[in-house]
Amino acid sequence: MTKYIVRRVIQAIPVIFVISLVSFWLMIQAPGGPEAVFNQNPHITHAQVLAWLKRWCLEQNPDVFGVVREYLGWVGVWNCDAGSLFAASGLPNFLPTFLGGGTNGILHGDFGLSIFYSQPVSDLILSRLPATLILMSTATVIWISIAILAGVTAAVRRYSLYDNAVTLTSYILYALPTFWLGLMLIFAFGVTLRWFPPQGIVDARTSPAPFGTNAYWTALVHNPIPNILDIGRHLVLPVITLVAVSIAGDSRFVRSAMLESLNQDYVRTAKAKGLPSSRVIFRHAFRNALLPILTNITLEIAAIFSGAIVTETVFSWPGMGLLFYEGVNNRDYFLLMGIVLVGSVLVVVANLVADVLYAVADPRIRYN
Amino acid sequence: MATTPKLTSAGPAVGPTGGTAAADVEVALESLSQWQLAWRRFKRHKMALMGLGIFGVMVGIAILGPIVMPYNPLDIPGSPVPGGTGPSLQHLFGTDSTGRDVFTMVLNGARISVAIGFFSMTIAGLTGVVVGAVSGFAGGLVDNVLMRLVDVLFAIPFLFVILVAARFFGQGSVVALILIFGLLSWPLIARLVRASFLSLREADFVEAARAVGVSNVRITFRHILPNALGPVIVAMTLLMASNIVLEAFVSYLGFGISEDQTSWGNALSNAQTALIFGNWWWAFFPGMAIALTVLSINFIGDGLRDALDPRARL
Repeated sequence: MTKYIVRRVIQAIPVIFVISLVSFWLMIQAPGGPEAVFNQNPHITHAQVLAWLKRWCLEQNPDVFGVVREYLGWVGVWNCDAGSLFAASGLPNFLPTFLGGGTNGILHGDFGLSIFYSQPVSDLILSRLPATLILMSTATVIWISIAILAGVTAAVRRYSLYDNAVTLTSYILYALPTFWLGLMLIFAFGVTLRWFPPQGIVDARTSPAPFGTNAYWTALVHNPIPNILDIGRHLVLPVITLVAVSIAGDSRFVRSAMLESLNQDYVRTAKAKGLPSSRVIFRHAFRNALLPILTNITLEIAAIFSGAIVTETVFSWPGMGLLFYEGVNNRDYFLLMGIVLVGSVLVVVANLVADVLYAVADPRIRYN
Repeated sequence: MATTPKLTSAGPAVGPTGGTAAADVEVALESLSQWQLAWRRFKRHKMALMGLGIFGVMVGIAILGPIVMPYNPLDIPGSPVPGGTGPSLQHLFGTDSTGRDVFTMVLNGARISVAIGFFSMTIAGLTGVVVGAVSGFAGGLVDNVLMRLVDVLFAIPFLFVILVAARFFGQGSVVALILIFGLLSWPLIARLVRASFLSLREADFVEAARAVGVSNVRITFRHILPNALGPVIVAMTLLMASNIVLEAFVSYLGFGISEDQTSWGNALSNAQTALIFGNWWWAFFPGMAIALTVLSINFIGDGLRDALDPRARL
């Protein structure tokens, strides 16, 4: 198993490399660039623009080699300051810093600075991560519980009125565009009825400091209950949106996995032995249906960040998804690259975990 | 016993009688091709028929739109009230802040939204089928390279790339959006096609065709592809539905279709501010149009799944 995992990790490295290269090329090739903000300012000379770009390890209107240089600078193979492949020490730039290599690029743990915020990209991502994790973990726990409950009960009472109702509901929920459902919830419960706050994560009246700042965390520690309740109130509408859209596909999946499991011989044997039906359903059928369900859930975790973009933009939830949306608007190349990198590593890891879990949960499967 | 000698000649002796029986049945079923059988199975799926009906109406609106529309979508027939006026007999779905008729916007939006869904699905389907077929039939190095490409496209967080591409390359053009959606969503179809090719390549009827001397191209397109098509068609319908939603979301963010065109997503693009003022009709009706279309396409896909399954009985 260890061998298998190591092999998969080694296979994943070129995939992530190609992803980063393609996304980098895509962004740099697009018409315009971050220097466009200076177009309207007559006091800024061309030399100043070039110097400003050089600070970001970028070039104006780069050709193919220019894009490769910029990319290698981001990776950490190219030394932007010196304009060469070698660090100041004369050794290749890609070597670790303590061995005499350079300091720039992700190989040296430097994700670069956000062009718009002038802050390290890693700091920005870390400061936005908690909001996404709070939203997504709450929603995931709720939607998986509901999906399993609905799927199992529907499978047990196959073709009953209840089963048909669950199926129809999941079809309808599946067809609703996530962002539109969010907008409608905002209108109904946030604006008209005023039951829940329509936007954001904290109320300025409860906590003057914005979420994610150090001041906020201190306030949270000193005064936990009102602050946690405040986040809880803000969570309601985005979580309902995510849950409503996500349970649809999953409950269908659980239902079919459960139906398959209920048709097995060992279930018939268990029933014939006279075991109580609750025991047959949960101990015999459900435990075996859990395997495909587990894999499916792990694979969905990879899609969580994409889901975060939709929900967070609608609800102004200050997480990674909203950060990405702002990055696209501001042409913040290095911020976007950092988020794409985190996202694609997450996809690869989730795929690997799904395969490993499958082997762990099912002793019949062996990878060698 | 008379049976003993008959047993030795069992093959030829039973053959003709069995043959005539089969021929009788065949005569009765002669008129039913594979597609007619599929249609017969599809018709029993009530939800799928309903979906087909609703989707047909949507396509009809998309094609006949300009004739049915009560107003010109670029005209401003209502008086520009800040925030627009609510639904009335004159303006069934109300008007927006510039006085545009929302009903007209929804009807006209069907053209662009359905077109984007349909054409991006076609591009993704064709690319996916060609890549999957080549990969599954050729095997070896070609297969390896193409499948690594598919791996990469699968591992990229899809929405990230779509947003970046739409914002930086789309520039509000419908054709660019169709190309972006189509060229980024084919990997699933390629995998499906490749998987069925891998199993069908070894099937007896392909072996037989090869023994007779049929060319590789003909085997691929005449013998294997039609048998692999069922799951692909289902996946394509689902792709169309998800691309319609995707267009709506991208346009809602302001990265999609330019302002002077009206897709359903565009009609939703200023919905956020509208809702704060309580003008629900701006957002409600375009969203319902999307949901209804997606629902009907999903029902069609479900019906097709049963209808195109070769193992399913009539």
